[in-house]
Amino acid sequence: MDFYLGLLQIIGVHTLLGLSAYVVLLTGQVSMAQAGFYAIGAYVAAMCTAMFGLHILPAIIVAGLVTAAIACVVGFPALRVKGLMLVVATLAFGEMVRLFFFNFSWQVERGGELIGPNSAEGFRAIRFFPENGWEIWHVTGFIWIVVAVVMGALWWIDNTRAGAVLRAVGHDETAAQSIGLNLTAVKVGAMTLGGLVAGMGGGIYAHTVTHIEHAVFGVLLATFAIAYPILGGLGSVFGTLIAVIFIQGFLVEGLRFLGDWRSLLFGALIVLAMNFRPTGLLGERMPRLFKRRGPDKLELKEAE
Amino acid sequence: MLTLENLSKHFGGVRAVDGVTLTIREGEIFGLIGPNGSGKSTTVNLITGLYTPTTGTVTLDGWDLTAMPQHARTSRGVARTFQNIRLFGNLTVAQNLWVAQNGHEQRREHFLSRWFKPGGEHGASVDELLQFSRLYSKRDVLAGNLSFGEMRRLEMARALASNPRVLLLDEPAAGASQEDGQLLAERIRAVRDRGVTVLLIEHMMELVMGITDRIAVLNFGQKIAEGTPREIQDDPQVRAAYLGSGHDEKMERASA
Amino acid sequence: MDYFFFIDLIQSTVDGLLFGTTYALIGIGFTLIFGVMRKLNLAYGAAALAGTYIGLVVFLMFDAHPALVFLASALGSGLIGLVVYLCCFRFTPSNYPMASLLASVGMLLFIDEVVIHASHGLPYPYPSVFRDAIIELGDVWVRGDLLFVFFMCVVAMAALFWLLYRTPLGLATRAVSQQPRAAQLCGIDVTRVNMMTFGIAGVLGGIAGAMTAAAVGVLSPVIAMGLTVKGLIVVVIGGLGSIPGAIIGGLLVGAAENIFLLLRGVTERDIYVMLLLFIFLTLRPGGLFGSAQTRD
Repeated sequence: MDFYLGLLQIIGVHTLLGLSAYVVLLTGQVSMAQAGFYAIGAYVAAMCTAMFGLHILPAIIVAGLVTAAIACVVGFPALRVKGLMLVVATLAFGEMVRLFFFNFSWQVERGGELIGPNSAEGFRAIRFFPENGWEIWHVTGFIWIVVAVVMGALWWIDNTRAGAVLRAVGHDETAAQSIGLNLTAVKVGAMTLGGLVAGMGGGIYAHTVTHIEHAVFGVLLATFAIAYPILGGLGSVFGTLIAVIFIQGFLVEGLRFLGDWRSLLFGALIVLAMNFRPTGLLGERMPRLFKRRGPDKLELKEAE
Repeated sequence: MLTLENLSKHFGGVRAVDGVTLTIREGEIFGLIGPNGSGKSTTVNLITGLYTPTTGTVTLDGWDLTAMPQHARTSRGVARTFQNIRLFGNLTVAQNLWVAQNGHEQRREHFLSRWFKPGGEHGASVDELLQFSRLYSKRDVLAGNLSFGEMRRLEMARALASNPRVLLLDEPAAGASQEDGQLLAERIRAVRDRGVTVLLIEHMMELVMGITDRIAVLNFGQKIAEGTPREIQDDPQVRAAYLGSGHDEKMERASA
Repeated sequence: MDYFFFIDLIQSTVDGLLFGTTYALIGIGFTLIFGVMRKLNLAYGAAALAGTYIGLVVFLMFDAHPALVFLASALGSGLIGLVVYLCCFRFTPSNYPMASLLASVGMLLFIDEVVIHASHGLPYPYPSVFRDAIIELGDVWVRGDLLFVFFMCVVAMAALFWLLYRTPLGLATRAVSQQPRAAQLCGIDVTRVNMMTFGIAGVLGGIAGAMTAAAVGVLSPVIAMGLTVKGLIVVVIGGLGSIPGAIIGGLLVGAAENIFLLLRGVTERDIYVMLLLFIFLTLRPGGLFGSAQTRD
């Protein structure tokens, strides 16, 4: 039972990671910086609880906000470039963040031991959950409440004008500009929102594993982040969730009997998917959001 | 109302637009014609801000647009369509109009209600435009699934969604048949009757001669003539410019 | 600034410039592929690494001469380059440029995992030559093995230039990189040119990988990421699509990296290199020699 609850936790935090890339991807930008944002969120939230004794909830909110602010600041220069060059720029940023934490050391004494990020050794003893007597199902429940709230919020935004604007920019930037949309504002906005979600996800992740280190937040994690929404399709947030369940649940855990060889499958899966279903397993079909209101009495006028 | 003052755009050594001065009056349908490569589309891109001019200014109602980014020009009242239709094929017809509501008045709406209005409430202005463009019954269809004619109508409607003062139509008859041209002429007049000034860039002479109030002719980036359709047809310089480029026959037909 | 620091600085710069030629080769590989296809191949560094491992297998199994090992590395990498082309670029839809990019990221992970699996993630000794030869120029020492690396890379570049400017295949390649559609209409088989380019770029990558391993004396899977990232930095600084830009970018990155190493130590070195890349990308996306416009 604990195994499945643990798996649910992994799926939960990875869903947040995938959703953060989903938001940015809606505007047509492929960001490899999501693992970097995730790392920032993880370290900030862990510092809040382990070093300053905050409760987990304000800690992940702080982590989300700090990450969003950084994403916003990074977005302005980074989004000047697009397409392939943006991939390279965000890749560089993500590696920069990882290497920063590789060198970052700041420890305080708490309860007789030194606590805090300690460069290559990582950040140990992020023990908010065990210290406060949370059972594994409490933790799992908490994660999924956050996931549900975030998914609900993103789903709602997707159905508003803001969502349509994100998709419009993603479809054709020249046309979007010509109808008066400020591309920089829209893209940086999406990046900021993505940063918020990634920061919250990273914050939760740090507490579920209790020990974080720089190596986790490398290119592999960044690839996971963009692979989820791309494989799941950009139709809605649920595509990302399904892709996470498929990859983490089936590929990583379900095929455990294959041993280490299953780590090959992820790369191979992306190659195959891009050859056969490049717009995602579920495709980019918009769910029916715009239901007709009332009888079509107006159509009579048109017929004249 | 819309004034181009000594407008130039050079690409390296090529002078795509070379010192063009034009004034378009409020409420008129103004035609901009010229042989291929004469700088018509570049002029449109200079007015909408896709390109920055090498020299010269663009002013609308006394507002200097030259240094403004594209999105600011839209809120000042400049809208356009594209020669090769550029719709948001992943959005529905209604959504295409909805996202384009970036006019001056529309920007004053409260931030939250402007951006986070839920999907069903596009507002009366979108419905009105849908009817104007005879697309109301298609409003929930993805724009990418429309027919060619419907796409053209939707693109014009999308340009009107920001309540522009001036609408730039970049070859709206490209790919259209003769009969479509007739319908198009009616539509352009209907747009003008809504109080929108129209700048029409077009190859189809019948259309331009039939509906414009005044015409300017570009050749090699320079304005070689300006006047009423009648005057333009009689202008020897214009005829010379079109001779050999295959358009003189059309000129004859249009004047006949 | 005292004398010894000054000598250290010169020493670092010289070593960096010599080793930078491997970065230049990797950069040229990225640039060649981008030139003909307008696409980035992120699996390129991993393919170069895998090729180098093929050379290592030859070394371990037959105890071959270093020259043979280097040759096997180059050819192996060229072969893997072709596989990458077939898996990630040949059949992905061309109207969706991100498809091939992501496929190449998938390939990067795949190749990386295969190599780690096959080698159990352990570093292996790799043959190097002129390890003990040192040329002394006053207080600055030029290491023989680095000089050999430099020499090999320059030879590879010269061969490439000969190929590009003196052979029909090179002419076709340059034609495709300038006007793919027109080249096709002139009867050039674009697919064949693309394949050849991947093969040639792969060979260059294999040489770069072999030289990187030879300079250090050991081969470990971690250098794949280094090759990829350094190669990207080089092309971004030099301008995607420009071969002279890649050469200068490579030397610049090699020197800058060694100077940062001297000033800030090994763990912080790469942060500054990344920062350099980020700044270059956002302030001058076209690079030193490229045009400002970047296609996607």
